[in-house]
Amino acid sequence: MNAVAVSVESVSKRFRLYKERNQSLKSAIMRGRVSVHHDFWALQNVSFDVPTGSTFGLIGSNGSGKSTLLKCLARIYRPTMGDITARGRVAALLEVGSGFHPELSGRENIYLNGSILGMTKKEVTRKLDEIIDFSGVEAFIDQPVKNYSSGMYVRLGFAVAINVDPDVLIVDEVLAVGDAEFQEKCRQRFAQFREAGKTVVLVTHAMDTVAEMCDQAAWLHHGHLQTVGPADTTIKAYLDSLPTT
Amino acid sequence: MSYVKEALSARELLANLTMREIRGQYKRTIFGQLWSLVNPLASMLVYTIVFAFILRATPPPGNPSGLDIYPVWLLCGLLPWSFFAAVVNSGMGSLLSNAGLIQKVYFPRIVLPLSTVGAVGFNWLFEMTVLLVVLVLCGAWILPWLPGLILMMIVLTVFAAGVALMLSVANVFFRDTQHLVGILLQIWMFLTPIIYPIDIIQQRSAHAGGLLGTPVTVYDLYRLNPMERFVAVFRDLLYNNRWPAWDDVTYCVAFAVIVFVVGLVVFRRKEHDLAEAL
Repeated sequence: MNAVAVSVESVSKRFRLYKERNQSLKSAIMRGRVSVHHDFWALQNVSFDVPTGSTFGLIGSNGSGKSTLLKCLARIYRPTMGDITARGRVAALLEVGSGFHPELSGRENIYLNGSILGMTKKEVTRKLDEIIDFSGVEAFIDQPVKNYSSGMYVRLGFAVAINVDPDVLIVDEVLAVGDAEFQEKCRQRFAQFREAGKTVVLVTHAMDTVAEMCDQAAWLHHGHLQTVGPADTTIKAYLDSLPTT
Repeated sequence: MSYVKEALSARELLANLTMREIRGQYKRTIFGQLWSLVNPLASMLVYTIVFAFILRATPPPGNPSGLDIYPVWLLCGLLPWSFFAAVVNSGMGSLLSNAGLIQKVYFPRIVLPLSTVGAVGFNWLFEMTVLLVVLVLCGAWILPWLPGLILMMIVLTVFAAGVALMLSVANVFFRDTQHLVGILLQIWMFLTPIIYPIDIIQQRSAHAGGLLGTPVTVYDLYRLNPMERFVAVFRDLLYNNRWPAWDDVTYCVAFAVIVFVVGLVVFRRKEHDLAEAL
């Protein structure tokens, strides 16, 4: 139980804020430099461990570096310093339905998106019915997805992503998709996921979601880790820091 | 080594993305895949009228095949070239056009330029098959040269993929690349003896002698162009029906391997910074 699923070791991420960015060769040559910039550290020396089987919440105000950290966990950004090691398969739900091809049918897109998320064709075929069932778009599954409503689009994307069956699932506020019925389905799915002993890392602004779902949480403030530990104490520390209105 | 392993595990993704490109390409068109033939046919028509009838730049008949048909001779060089140009063009834009995907999902980025290579290659395969049928109808005996042809098609694909890998990364950091390369490709095409025979250059260059007092002639410079060698090899196999010169083949293979390795190294180095730079 105390094994570590994801370990984050003194991770820092620097972004360059460009005063003048020369994305053309002409200006790069004329000025004799590619850019003028100053550094902005979105994350500074953040370290924590996510225990296997836990649901881990990342909380903090806007601009605190949560999403940057999440993208580092999902291997989309590479940390400027430090290391992130994850045990097992990591899947990230940062935006659902990215990679859908509008002209292809829902079914074809399930295969396409599944393989983008790292599933093999066999796995997708095995889970196809479950995915279609979960998305609730059975009637339109052989239609091109460009004809889907935005809700159908998101639900199909979510259904694929949640069926990837990773060891570590990284979620960025995507729980807020679909209608109440679909959200309830998602909630059940996450519960099953936790019962199966899988690890979830979750970013959200909704404190009640964190309180309900997470057992561990980390609070980020301006790129610095404030506290990490049991969810309720972290949430309390975060809420206490906010100016009362 | 682990990179190779990762890339191998992504081959299914590569296949799926390639299928996405191919299927999406001619979806909702009446003629479908036939459109991929229209472009080379139209250029063939234009060049035939201009070069065979107006300028009368006729190539010597195929030796030993005896073929003497300008449009067919043209296509034997034009199809490999237009494949190369199409791979470079679409491979170069592949990272930019999939920016949304790169910023949201992790997967080996290399599958994006490679999938466009696959999709363009699929079209090329179709075009070449049609060309082979035409050649047979014209009386060329191509069967013994097929294995060589397939090998050289692979070599050209490797070469084109290497160039596309380099340029796709360059294009993310400098958006000028796509405009510049468009012009360069056009110049490159006319510097390659595709629509006119190399003999013309050889004669003129022999007449002019060495450049600036050196023994180096224009013809020697011409031969440095790897696409010139590729075109010569494809013409030997398809049109002349003979073994290509060994130095041409070696030159092609060496160029393809070096360019591909350099492309791979460049791509690998910049791969992790793509999500930020896009």
